[in-house]
Amino acid sequence: MSNLSRRRLHALAATAFLVCASVGAQAQTTPAGRLLASNCFQCHGTNGKGPGFDTLAGKSANELYKEMVEFRSGKEGKGIMAKHSMGYTDAQLRQLAQWLSTQR
Amino acid sequence: MHRRKFLAATAFSALATSAMADDDKKSSSRSGSTSTTTAVVPASTTVKARVIVIGGGMAGTTVAKYLRLWGDGIEVTLVERMPTYTSNIMSSLVLTGQRTMASLTYKYDTLRSKYGVTTVFGEVVAVDPVNATVTLADKTVLKADRIVMAPGITFDTVPGLGTSDKMPHAWTAGPQTTLLASQLNTMRPGGVAVLTIPKTPYRCPPGPYERACLVADWLRVKKPGSKLIVLDANSDIVTEKDNFTNAFLGIHGNVIEYHNNAEVLSVDASTMTLYTNGGGTFKGDVVNMIPRQRAGGLIAATGLNNATEGRFAGVNVLSYASTTPGASKVHIIGDSSATTQPKAGHVANQEAKVCADALTRILAGGSPDSAPVTNSACFSTITTTQASWLHAMYQYDPVSGTMVAVPAATGASVGWNTESFKDMGKWFGALMADTFA
Repeated sequence: MSNLSRRRLHALAATAFLVCASVGAQAQTTPAGRLLASNCFQCHGTNGKGPGFDTLAGKSANELYKEMVEFRSGKEGKGIMAKHSMGYTDAQLRQLAQWLSTQR
Repeated sequence: MHRRKFLAATAFSALATSAMADDDKKSSSRSGSTSTTTAVVPASTTVKARVIVIGGGMAGTTVAKYLRLWGDGIEVTLVERMPTYTSNIMSSLVLTGQRTMASLTYKYDTLRSKYGVTTVFGEVVAVDPVNATVTLADKTVLKADRIVMAPGITFDTVPGLGTSDKMPHAWTAGPQTTLLASQLNTMRPGGVAVLTIPKTPYRCPPGPYERACLVADWLRVKKPGSKLIVLDANSDIVTEKDNFTNAFLGIHGNVIEYHNNAEVLSVDASTMTLYTNGGGTFKGDVVNMIPRQRAGGLIAATGLNNATEGRFAGVNVLSYASTTPGASKVHIIGDSSATTQPKAGHVANQEAKVCADALTRILAGGSPDSAPVTNSACFSTITTTQASWLHAMYQYDPVSGTMVAVPAATGASVGWNTESFKDMGKWFGALMADTFA
């Protein structure tokens, strides 16, 4: 699946969720992956926009996910990011990458 | 006296009106910002809920910022004693002259101008956890839907020390840091410095060990022939054991003399003597006495100190709500809460985000995220130019109801280097920006 079509799907899913939410309670919709992704902010800036280490905003979900998988595989050495990448489940990595990709 | 003067009359009267008008939520409008910073979060015309945050350290400042960033019409009032914050993180570098106190000072201006947080500089004297009210020293009463307390730590009294400043802890960055730096600077070469490590849990587990390494490296160069006696109340080095053991025995072997199970029971400030539980007596020209710690005084005063033998506040880590019966409108984050996570600024920032996210959901009628994740990452100075790193990731465990460290993501660097020392500066800048900017 291309990045574009995946993004479209997510957009559709988000819209569907919003509709459901507005029909039900007044509950504020919390974007999936935002709280998870906020673990990145301490070192990569609020919303991944710096200041700090590499800026994450503007990257695609696929790119971000692949980088984390590479860190986890040990291909990027034994630094602090390798350690950090091992703390998430695969589903969590996809979720936080997806949310970060919405930041421009 | 000094603090009260910082109660800016205009901001305060605006707050007293808005925060107290509990039954007038819908029409209350926020007072405009006077700063030129672009507001990221526009001032709400409709206030849906109010939160008072007590304490503007790493945890309190972050939760105030993120409640405004993520919340929908949540009015946030941050009550803090001091008009500026001095970072504890990196403050050991002031002792070696590598950092100035000014470089560790942060203001709350951006919190106000960019995020629309209302700040009140004053002393909180009472918190009513049932009615969610906060009373200030001048008897003003603020009311909110929820209260977030982040009062940090306070120190046990050391028998024999009293209020003497002859043995500074310098464990809350401020005048004590400057004082200890000056004492070390004027110490004679060939002198004896003592650093004490309290029983866990205390603020920043690697902190005393990294300070010992840093000061030892500085003494070796600046005060040749000097010794640094480390008196550790714990049975062993409490974290990053490999690196600190190697450093203590290796590069700092000629300077550091490490004693475990050496809890300081009392001191004689006039003779600069420390008496330990094992019967050992130690004297120093300079003594960095870091006492045992407990949650900031307001926690016990509010009756929320129900964990860690009454020292800290038990919380539900899904929302950081107090576990004290009847106090569920009060959330406690940072060093004053009792969790499986370390007491440190970096993870306090993440606890604050979990709390902010939970509050935005709760105040909108929902439930907190059922699977929060937090991380603690930091660097330790092993010399004046080299550092190691330490990392832990925590996942929520529904069975125990605690944040559990993921083994594969928990551990330290193998050794230390100059690259990590440089990364430490970048890490600090990023963390402080995510908290204060």
